[in-house]
Amino acid sequence: MSVMLECRSVTRRFGGIVAVRPIDLTLHAGEFLSIIGPNGAGKTTLFNLISGHDAPDAGRITLEGVEIAGHAPETIAARGLARTFQHGRVFANMSVRDNLLVGAHHRLRAVKPRLPGLGAVAELALALLRPPGVRAEEAALNREIEAIAAIFGDRLTPRLDQPAYALSYANRRRVEIARALALRPRVLLLDEPTAGMNESETLEMQHIIGDLKAGGQTILLIEHKLDLVMRLSDRVIAMDDGAKIAEGKPDAVRQDPAVIEAYLGHRAMGEAL
Amino acid sequence: MSSWLDYTINGLIIGNIYALVAVGLALIFGVSHLINFAHGSVYAVGAYIGWACFTYLHAPLAVTAPTVMIACAGLGVLIERVGLRPLAGSARIAPLLATIGISLVLDQLLQIIFTPDPRALTSPLPNWRIQIGGGTIGALDLLIAATGIVSAGVLYFFLRFTKLGWAVRATAQDRDAARQMGVDTDRVNMAVFAIASALGGLSGLLVGMYFNHIDPAMSFAATLKGVVAQVVGGMGNVPGAIFGSLLLGLTESYGVAIFGSSYRNLFSFALLLLILVLRPNGLFASARSTPPEPLTGSFVMPSRPVRVPRIAVIAAIAVAAIVPLAGAAPYVLQVLTNAWLFAMLAISLTLVAGTLGQISLGHASLLLIGAYASALLALDLHWPVWASVPAAGLVTALLGTALIAPAFRLRSHYLSIATLGIGEMVGLVILNWESLTRGPMGVTNIPPLQVGGVELDNPRAAYWVTLGVLVLLALLQTRLLRSHLGRTFRAIRDDDVAARAHGISLGRYKAIAFAVGGFSAGISGGIAAHLYSYINNETFTSTVSISALTMVILGGLGNVAGAVFGAVALTALPEMFRGTAEYRMLIYGLALLLLVRFRPQGVFGTT
Amino acid sequence: MTLLTLRKIDTFYGPVQVHFGLDIEVRQGQIVCLLGGNASGKSTTMKIILGLLRPRAGTVRFDGHDLTAMTTPKIIRAGIGSVPEARRLFGAMTVRENLLMGAFARSDRVEIAHDLDRMLELFPRVRQRLASRAGTLSGGEQQMVAMARALMGRPKLICMDEPTMGLSPLFVDRVLELIQTVNRDGVTIFMVEQNASLALAIAHYAYVLQTGRIILHGEAASLAHDPRIRDAYLGGKT
Repeated sequence: MSVMLECRSVTRRFGGIVAVRPIDLTLHAGEFLSIIGPNGAGKTTLFNLISGHDAPDAGRITLEGVEIAGHAPETIAARGLARTFQHGRVFANMSVRDNLLVGAHHRLRAVKPRLPGLGAVAELALALLRPPGVRAEEAALNREIEAIAAIFGDRLTPRLDQPAYALSYANRRRVEIARALALRPRVLLLDEPTAGMNESETLEMQHIIGDLKAGGQTILLIEHKLDLVMRLSDRVIAMDDGAKIAEGKPDAVRQDPAVIEAYLGHRAMGEAL
Repeated sequence: MSSWLDYTINGLIIGNIYALVAVGLALIFGVSHLINFAHGSVYAVGAYIGWACFTYLHAPLAVTAPTVMIACAGLGVLIERVGLRPLAGSARIAPLLATIGISLVLDQLLQIIFTPDPRALTSPLPNWRIQIGGGTIGALDLLIAATGIVSAGVLYFFLRFTKLGWAVRATAQDRDAARQMGVDTDRVNMAVFAIASALGGLSGLLVGMYFNHIDPAMSFAATLKGVVAQVVGGMGNVPGAIFGSLLLGLTESYGVAIFGSSYRNLFSFALLLLILVLRPNGLFASARSTPPEPLTGSFVMPSRPVRVPRIAVIAAIAVAAIVPLAGAAPYVLQVLTNAWLFAMLAISLTLVAGTLGQISLGHASLLLIGAYASALLALDLHWPVWASVPAAGLVTALLGTALIAPAFRLRSHYLSIATLGIGEMVGLVILNWESLTRGPMGVTNIPPLQVGGVELDNPRAAYWVTLGVLVLLALLQTRLLRSHLGRTFRAIRDDDVAARAHGISLGRYKAIAFAVGGFSAGISGGIAAHLYSYINNETFTSTVSISALTMVILGGLGNVAGAVFGAVALTALPEMFRGTAEYRMLIYGLALLLLVRFRPQGVFGTT
Repeated sequence: MTLLTLRKIDTFYGPVQVHFGLDIEVRQGQIVCLLGGNASGKSTTMKIILGLLRPRAGTVRFDGHDLTAMTTPKIIRAGIGSVPEARRLFGAMTVRENLLMGAFARSDRVEIAHDLDRMLELFPRVRQRLASRAGTLSGGEQQMVAMARALMGRPKLICMDEPTMGLSPLFVDRVLELIQTVNRDGVTIFMVEQNASLALAIAHYAYVLQTGRIILHGEAASLAHDPRIRDAYLGGKT
């Protein structure tokens, strides 16, 4: 199995607080790795470091062997890494369709010729002139994002041309995942995809993520709903206070005393079990 | 060397005056994260109240100064209570626009009451001066220095040792936590506006006495200087604002000493841009702070834009096209031609401010660039007008984008301040670059519009040409917005963090949007130059920028049809009332205030 | 006697419902804790009590007042002290100023000075840092200042949001002891906590919240051994 994503001794400090202690992480092609841990454990900070929204103070991050630590998020996205955000960051004033099309932005070719120096001018000219190649590309992308929307059953398809702000919270989360899929990611980072969803919606999402996994998608997941984590993950990493406290098969991590302590408290552990 | 001492003293005195303005802005920014663009108006009102006290009541300074402070404090409370508090919880751009509206209203009221003519505000202080080294200091200098020092001292004492002062500091640091201590943060806001406005009014009075000159235009200049000083010292930082003010005063004073007085403002804006580009958090910011969490989707009010059917657009264009044939008076045609020119500026601004979400406050400078480009190409290089106008569009696209590009990484308020500074600088460069622009003389004898050797200097021809160009530009922009660029711009506006996560490089797309906007605005300026036949550095001022912003908001941010509608409505309607210029701007100010409060999505809705 | 009552609270963030008919009672003189995992709606409950957020339906009553109709400063003046999540000290103000901010709603200067002395006895560590900027303190010291600041308002009830979050184990024990000490002095405590066994060790009564609903409540001693608590956090057995 080839290594898709690798973190080595990645560290991030905010002032005097160490948000992520030197942490190692390896994600193989087609693997489903989950990160669990209580609030404030540093999970989302780690995601931000990987996706380029924040730069580590030390350590290396490689995506398919290429160093990406401290690179701009748009560069990392263009290398095939897509992410969702913990609290949801859909483009509220845009239609669902446009949200998804923006997700596919880095795959635009016909309208974004690789011209050193004059790329932006050419892009503007092609956007205005719309030669057949550009129109064909837009049409193909539209068909593609319609197919992606269809993954979510009839949740998104009938709402493709509605503005995102009019959607329910659960549907916004779905739009965000669909938008990330539109990037055709080599590695997909999901930050609490089921936050704020009720049980049946969570189950539905679990099936969708399970299908993605079955389709060979490499996934790194942050999630609090451990049922979902246990069912889907190949491996689980538990974090607490910025550090990795356990790593391994889902069941082993769940039974790990350090993990139980992190969740329930250090005192009288075991008593509550 | 003696004159250097004079320049230093002069710089410190002016810096002291700026400090009284900047400290107020910093206090207000501290508690409400708002740049109060009405602050300069309060300062001007203070100067006029002082003038009235001296002139009509023959009051001594000891009575006048407290009167000014109390009246301005009251005005500040009014601004906070009526203008800003109702906007709590609305889009984050709303309070900023509201202060611009309030500023317009106050400035125009001053003009209407006191006329735009300058007045002398003679200092009642004795006229002695004392020698210090080679320089001299007068009683007024000492008073200003003392006022600055005493105000700083009182403010320090207030913030440090009084309960309300603590509440102010606590609110500035963490509004929610302060409320959880029982602090009524609404009252804190009000108190801060009162204190800031009292100091601002006092500053206006002192400046008026110092220069023995007051006029309504002093308002905008004061806001600019206060904002510059505050950016230098770090937004919301009170000691920083004082330091920034002194530094600004000295920079200007030395700059004037070396290059002459027409360069005074150029130096303040150069300082502003330098700080914004190099240290956007001010000179005292210790570490590079992380950008604030963008409030997703809160930039524009969510609304469903009105879909204008194609047939209605065609009908509107047709009606506009036959107006000259329907026997409209030349005067009506001129007003409408002007409206079309404004509409080109408005579609440019609606692209940048509405679609891309970068509120530009210096958009009129693009008109200046376009006007000068076309006029100079035609006069100095003898280009035909049919070529010089499009060329002016391209020049403006390039130059405008190059000027704003260093500020692309700034966000929201900071970007707006940068555009304001760049806009002012363009005018000042034109004023001072005499070899190219003819300086303060302006450019005269600009040839009229002509196509293929046929001069189009009658109102009808000018009308049709302008309308035709507008329709073309509007259609182009509509086409652009339907391409992948439209959604890319909107994605940047709604959430630039999420946009970057999908591979959108912000610089490239901001550049494209500013270039397209620059093109439309440059064309508008170019045509205007040939219609007016005379232009100078004050042909298009910041007032035009604010007017365009009002039009764009009236139409609905990002909405092309709305921008054209807004331009026509706000250009033509005041003409129907035959109002003078003052009343026109008063209407704009009130329109802006009412829109922000009651219909932030505009008539046609944001897109 | 019941000091604080939440009755049938429904809360929404935009279209998302956070609370579903929440019922909570806090009896005078007790330590009551609200347990639950991430995103269960715990912190939102605090915001509702403190008036930082309005419920769409339901009532909050405290000591004869209807809190749902009051602003946050008025609620504080009615006798509630707050130790916010992540402490939220005024970092650029000194520790002393922070403590005096806690007494902002009071005007009895002599008594305030007396209370300040009392706080320094209760929290001796704070005394050494009195003139320091609050932002320079360690997490544990900040937590003590935050508690002292809340006490300076002489509240009948203190609301604590995750008081042990981010503290080292040594400080966690100290903070818990202090909570008990304060409670013995007659102050009722309502605390939100993720760390279940810690909270149950000192609480009299506890509620367990899961996705906006109270799924369990009872005497803390009986809940401590209830396997359903583990399920609420770690998910059901597979």
